Amino acid sequence: MRVPSGVRRAFHMPASTGQIARDLEEEVDFHMAMRAQSLARRGLTDDEAVAEAHRRFGDVQDLRDYCVSLEVPHMQRAQLRERMYSVLQDLRFALRQFRRSPGFAIIASVTLALGVGATTAIFSVVNGVILRPLPFSRPGQLVQLWGIDANGKHLHFADPTFDHLAAENHTLRAVAEYNNGGFSLSANGTVARVNASGVSKQFFDVLDVRPELGRSFAPEDQQKGAPMVAVISHGLWMRLFGGSAAAIGAIVKNGPTSVTIIGVLPAGSEFPAGTDAWYPREPFGEDASYTAHNWNVIGRVKDGLTPDAATHDVSMVLRRLHAALGEATWTFDGTAIPLRDQIVGKVKVLLLLILGASGVLLLIACANVANLLIARMAVRQSEIAVRVAIGAGRGRLAQQLLIETSLLATVGCVGGIVIAAAGTRALLVLRPTLIPRVGELSLDWRVLVFAIGVSAATAIALGLLAAWRGTRGDLRAALSQSQRTQGGGGASYRVRGSLVVLQLAMTVVLLIGAGLLGRSFARLMTIDPGFRTHGMVVAATAYDDSHDPDYLAKRSLYYQQLTERARAIRGVTSVGISDAPPFSNGSSNGTFLVLDNAGVKIAPNDMDALFRDKTHTGYATYRTASSGYFRAMGIPIVAGRVFDDGDRAGGPQAAVINAALAHKQWPNENAIGKVIDFGNIDGDMTPLTIVGVVGDTREEDLAADPAAAVYVDFDQRTGNSDEMYVIMAAADEAPVIAAARRSFTDVRSDVPMRFLTVEDIIGRSVESQRFMLLLVGVFGAVALLLATLGVYSVISYLVAQRGREISIRVALGASAPEIVGLVLKQGVVLSLVGAAIGGVAALAATRLLKNFLYQVSTTDPIAFASVLVVLCGVALLASYVPARRAAAFEPMDVLRGG
Amino acid sequence: MPRDASDLLHGTLDVLILKTLSWGAMHGYAVAEWIEHRGGGELVIVDAALYKALHRLEEGGAITSEWGLSDNNRRAKYYSLTARGRARLRTESETWKRYAHAVGRIIESS
Repeated sequence: MRVPSGVRRAFHMPASTGQIARDLEEEVDFHMAMRAQSLARRGLTDDEAVAEAHRRFGDVQDLRDYCVSLEVPHMQRAQLRERMYSVLQDLRFALRQFRRSPGFAIIASVTLALGVGATTAIFSVVNGVILRPLPFSRPGQLVQLWGIDANGKHLHFADPTFDHLAAENHTLRAVAEYNNGGFSLSANGTVARVNASGVSKQFFDVLDVRPELGRSFAPEDQQKGAPMVAVISHGLWMRLFGGSAAAIGAIVKNGPTSVTIIGVLPAGSEFPAGTDAWYPREPFGEDASYTAHNWNVIGRVKDGLTPDAATHDVSMVLRRLHAALGEATWTFDGTAIPLRDQIVGKVKVLLLLILGASGVLLLIACANVANLLIARMAVRQSEIAVRVAIGAGRGRLAQQLLIETSLLATVGCVGGIVIAAAGTRALLVLRPTLIPRVGELSLDWRVLVFAIGVSAATAIALGLLAAWRGTRGDLRAALSQSQRTQGGGGASYRVRGSLVVLQLAMTVVLLIGAGLLGRSFARLMTIDPGFRTHGMVVAATAYDDSHDPDYLAKRSLYYQQLTERARAIRGVTSVGISDAPPFSNGSSNGTFLVLDNAGVKIAPNDMDALFRDKTHTGYATYRTASSGYFRAMGIPIVAGRVFDDGDRAGGPQAAVINAALAHKQWPNENAIGKVIDFGNIDGDMTPLTIVGVVGDTREEDLAADPAAAVYVDFDQRTGNSDEMYVIMAAADEAPVIAAARRSFTDVRSDVPMRFLTVEDIIGRSVESQRFMLLLVGVFGAVALLLATLGVYSVISYLVAQRGREISIRVALGASAPEIVGLVLKQGVVLSLVGAAIGGVAALAATRLLKNFLYQVSTTDPIAFASVLVVLCGVALLASYVPARRAAAFEPMDVLRGG
Repeated sequence: MPRDASDLLHGTLDVLILKTLSWGAMHGYAVAEWIEHRGGGELVIVDAALYKALHRLEEGGAITSEWGLSDNNRRAKYYSLTARGRARLRTESETWKRYAHAVGRIIESS
């Protein structure tokens, strides 16, 4: 005969160790009493009987220990089984509940999915960009090294400075120079412009990267004049050689130069990001100048040392060097920055802000679900009262409700992960170049743990809220309440009203953030950069044969041919050439010398000495330009002339400067006729006579002031950039690109071409602002939608709850507008309180946006006012629908108790 | 199945309890009395050992317990045999009989 487990549970199962001991004690006491009784009957006195009973029983303490050790595991198992059973029961009940009212379950879980999804999508970006370690071994040891100038600004390294650093530091295991440049690779009939990086000896030791195929650089590759070899990226290997092992030893052309490919790096180990080819820098020789700041430097700190120790060390070495050299070096000091901080530093704040905004959205979503839940708890009050009446404890009830919300959160979590996966893909499509490592984004375990954690927190918070609302108050009263007056009454409205107010307040914060960003963006887009931005096509090419003594003439001829072809394209109105794309800081920038007249001869070695005389130096960006450049760009001539056919190669050299430089360098003089020397940029020491002044242009950053600029004649000077840009002004961009692509290849087919539009280039520069605006805008819109739903549901609830009162008013002669006004008043109160709290919170929160706003104050009254007006308007609209319903009440229906 | 003799001796008390309870549900004191009585006073068991055995058997699922009221109206824990206990009683008493017979034969033979 087996006792049903229910009975066993109800009557026997010990609940604790104390219970086990107490049960045993009672059992033993009973035994002793019976024994003593029996002994007494045989003639012992009571005391003797008790003593004898104890003697015969033996060691009670030992028995107790034995029983406890025996039964505790059993008890725990039983309790666990009991718990599991009840959870299962509650789960079944919850599913039944949701089947009965699917509307609630669907709305609640979709809302949660939205919140979890938004937060998770953003977190996956934060994870990929900020949290995940760099794809190199012991990435914490990698540092980017910088020199620091007299003004505290970061400086690249000059070769001799780097050599000192490499020889004299004590904290770096390996340290290497690298630069960023381009190759025009032609192999297997394809021509491609790829990013190539010249690197010094220890570069791959610093990164601790080995080729997956072939070999790395050997000492014989790293000598002056050695034939050129290159290691290529996995991606380029695939594109150019289809992953064939024949790539090793293959000879490709970089323009006229032959390059032997010796190795392939594994995928994901590209540094700097986007690099496709690495070549030894040593064959090209070193620049002895301490002020030719041409090199980026990375290092790996020794085992057991921190980047801070490296900073201290680098700083010591460079300060010592400065003390020894004095004015000859501009590097005063130095620093080592963890490589990850260097890469993600700028966007960290941006991403964390967006993560914060998504968190606010999640809170708003939770508030909506909480609101729905409270409404449901009110409806379910009689059901809960019955459950309590038949013996369910508060703990058990809380468990039931927690399981219901967990179920919602589970669905929300799964939905959220799906939304996050889609959202992350959308972010990848947007592919803002501002986000480093964006290609590494994926939903990894950290993202999943985050989504699950967020959902679990939501489930617990909502479950506790439901339990609090569900089990509070007088349940007997709830039982005896009729359906007509169901719902927790005034207290319930107050809680729901507060939730809606909170929701509105958070929505205000998001919307004001979006509003500020939007206004800033609009300001940014209306800035005149000083040149034409619409209908501008740029062809990026490279003509690199700079070792040819006839280079300049051949290059001029080539671009002359391109210019003629471009002019022949229908729709092209003017054509210009430059060695830097529009909206960039030129191909170089640096210090120039101001000379007395064009007859002065300067030797390259004198320049460093002459630079010390600050009255005869100036600072500007440097750009080579053709005579047609200014017209094509729409840059106006302020004074003098631009280059013309009279400016010939080998003749007196002309320079054009912009108004900013003219104003800065010669504030009270005429700049035209002044002579400067900019030979430190490109090695051409011929003096430049200023022949004209043109309008300022904003470059690289719309929000920045125009920088001083020197333009030199493309036909007279080689410049120092391999890349050249053919700029075509045209009414319609797409057909011009198509025509130019065909027509330019006829001139030379071995020169790779890329086509861009100036609008794209400028668009990329405001990508971070646009990205942030887009995300915060979307969050704000979703928040507004959720808050509207919140207002609508709470006002509808109010109307239902006060149905009798409203009916009586109608019966007593209140007009429809009066009833509408009565209900709307509630909506107004909610939205005003929400708007006020949100406004104050926004004042504090928008301060975080300060660095992302252009010419818009963080307390911009227009953004604040318009958001508050929109919010109150929407809230009123959301209350108007239930208000209309209230006004249409038939008094008798309600009073009869419908 | 042949078993270690010490095992058998150790199991003696268990068999006695199972046999006793086969007559019906009893509290611990009644079990002690019954064994004493049926054993003709030859078998005196230390009470603590009896209770250890009772709890051990319950844990093993051979017997089950329930609180009830005794004849003199006190709360007492009543033990009864489960199906598993009944089966165990059958096999153990068989083993015991064979064992006792074997021991008896050896002692008689001298």
